[in-house]
Amino acid sequence: MEVVRIERLTKVYGSGRTAVTALRDASLTADGGELVALLGPSGSGKTTLLTSIAGIIEPTSGRIRIGDIPLYDDGWLVRDLPRFRREHLGFIFQSHNLVPFLTARENVLVALEINGHKGRAAVAIAQELLDYLGVGERQHHLPEQLSGGEQQRVAIARALANAPQVILADEPTAALDTDRGKSVMAMFRQIARDKGSAVICVTHDQRMIEGFDRIYRVNDGRVTDGNALDHAPATAEQH
Amino acid sequence: MNLAIRDVRQHWGRFILSCIGVGMLLTLVLSFAGIYNGLVADALALIDSSGADLWVVQKDTRGPFAEMSRLPEDIRYRITVIPGVRQASPYIFYTVQRPHDGRLLRFVVVGYDLGTGLGGPTRVVAGRPIAQAHYEMVADQKLGLRVGESIRLGLHDYTVVGLTRGMVGSGGDPVVFFSFQDAEEIQFVKDNWAIRNARQRALAAYTRALPAQPTLATGLARTFADNPERHNVNAILVRLAPGADRAAVAASIDRWEYFTAYTTTEQSDLVLSGSVALGRRQTGLFRVLLIIIATVIVAQIIYTMTLEKLKPIALLKLIGAPNRMIVGLVFQQSLSLGILAYLIALVIGNLTFDKWPRRVIVGPADQLLLLAIVLVICLVASGMGLRRALRVEAGTALTG
Repeated sequence: MEVVRIERLTKVYGSGRTAVTALRDASLTADGGELVALLGPSGSGKTTLLTSIAGIIEPTSGRIRIGDIPLYDDGWLVRDLPRFRREHLGFIFQSHNLVPFLTARENVLVALEINGHKGRAAVAIAQELLDYLGVGERQHHLPEQLSGGEQQRVAIARALANAPQVILADEPTAALDTDRGKSVMAMFRQIARDKGSAVICVTHDQRMIEGFDRIYRVNDGRVTDGNALDHAPATAEQH
Repeated sequence: MNLAIRDVRQHWGRFILSCIGVGMLLTLVLSFAGIYNGLVADALALIDSSGADLWVVQKDTRGPFAEMSRLPEDIRYRITVIPGVRQASPYIFYTVQRPHDGRLLRFVVVGYDLGTGLGGPTRVVAGRPIAQAHYEMVADQKLGLRVGESIRLGLHDYTVVGLTRGMVGSGGDPVVFFSFQDAEEIQFVKDNWAIRNARQRALAAYTRALPAQPTLATGLARTFADNPERHNVNAILVRLAPGADRAAVAASIDRWEYFTAYTTTEQSDLVLSGSVALGRRQTGLFRVLLIIIATVIVAQIIYTMTLEKLKPIALLKLIGAPNRMIVGLVFQQSLSLGILAYLIALVIGNLTFDKWPRRVIVGPADQLLLLAIVLVICLVASGMGLRRALRVEAGTALTG
């Protein structure tokens, strides 16, 4: 089932002679349970595309649909973007991706609380997610007490807290060595299968390409390709 | 989940230090209220404890506290016979500074009539009240003298027979009570050296004026030098008979050409509108300045704490945190800082105000007022941090 559809998305920063076109008629789709890569060099427009999907920066024109909700059609169609983000999207970044003054469990709990889950039920979900990602025993540690890989797992747990339709990941493996990077990719694959979420990763990490179901190449603001690789995803019940 | 407390938990040492700093500043704010209260209490201590209904002073003066007043001691007998007057009693008030036991004692001498007790000590906390008309005194314990200790004043030694607590003059100097006879003598009776000196100066003057009458000149000089106007007092305190009309009695005394009568309320107003009013303006000014300084400091602390959290705030916004969560984070930290600093100020105040050189009286009203001020400070101070926090773009979490 298609959960992300981007059509002819354009983003122009500035105006007149100083205008810079970051995205030019970019289009892509992602299905539930699918691992999608946005591959391209720095400054190619990957992050602009990702932040547009996240409702953080406003595109100049085009259309964005997440699930059955039209998000953008030459203008925002959703008024409460923060609420849309917390209900439909999950985020994972390269670094600085955990709140430094919260423990691993609290980092997950805060996402749950933002989404309206409170009390013991929220704690149980956080515990379950941390166990699922193999960092349950580190739940009372602050981010600074965790390794890079552990931090990334906690960030993934947080991203999963609201059972999002789409997980947006910005260079999730860039700060990790090859083994840990592959481990994270394996985790994404498992999440995509288990939870049925579409995982869209911005990356220029060539080491990880094999792990994706579909790869879009972003170059100079243009999105091309979108080859579906052989291993088709299996959808599963959402968390 | 309280994000403010969790953030503080990570920097609790620095946070507590900030609280202590602001708390000490708030202690000063509180102390200025207390100092003003102390000024008022000190200024009114003698008036309130005097037991007088009327204060008769020299005509057109505002004595005896606000300015010098001098009137004959025997006027008390004339006042006593006025209808409505139950008792009239002499009252002496002046400040002395004398060396004693290697240190300088500064105190207010109050002379009162032992018979009526008007103007005398109302409560002796150690020893006993004055029992004889001479050579005994009751001192406030702030002076540091012990019961049984003697000090030399003028020609005689005076022994402390009792101690009072909290009896000070408007300048904060401890009060020492004497019989009015002793108070007169300490003030006016000269020692032998002074008498000899006065005789010589008077003799020189009279000899020049009466060169042909040396015996007369000598006699006049001796009279002038030896018998100063010592039977003067500073006020006559009047206690009215039950049911007497205070205003009517005061008006009847005012009709005499040489005296003015104030009710106790008027006497209090005279004192409070003088130096105390100046002190009130001064402490009020300091208080306002300190509140402004505290606001600026708290604002700086909260702003700096907010700047350090911009990245986590952006992250929280990115994952959909509503603005109220961000506002709560900043405002609750400001409030925690303020409330903790307030409690520290109360503790420091309670532990130290008794030891301050001047009396500091802080009541529940002052404490509540400070709490209200602290809440306003927190509200104002968090504004700058809130403005910065709410302007953070969620995308900052992604783009760095």
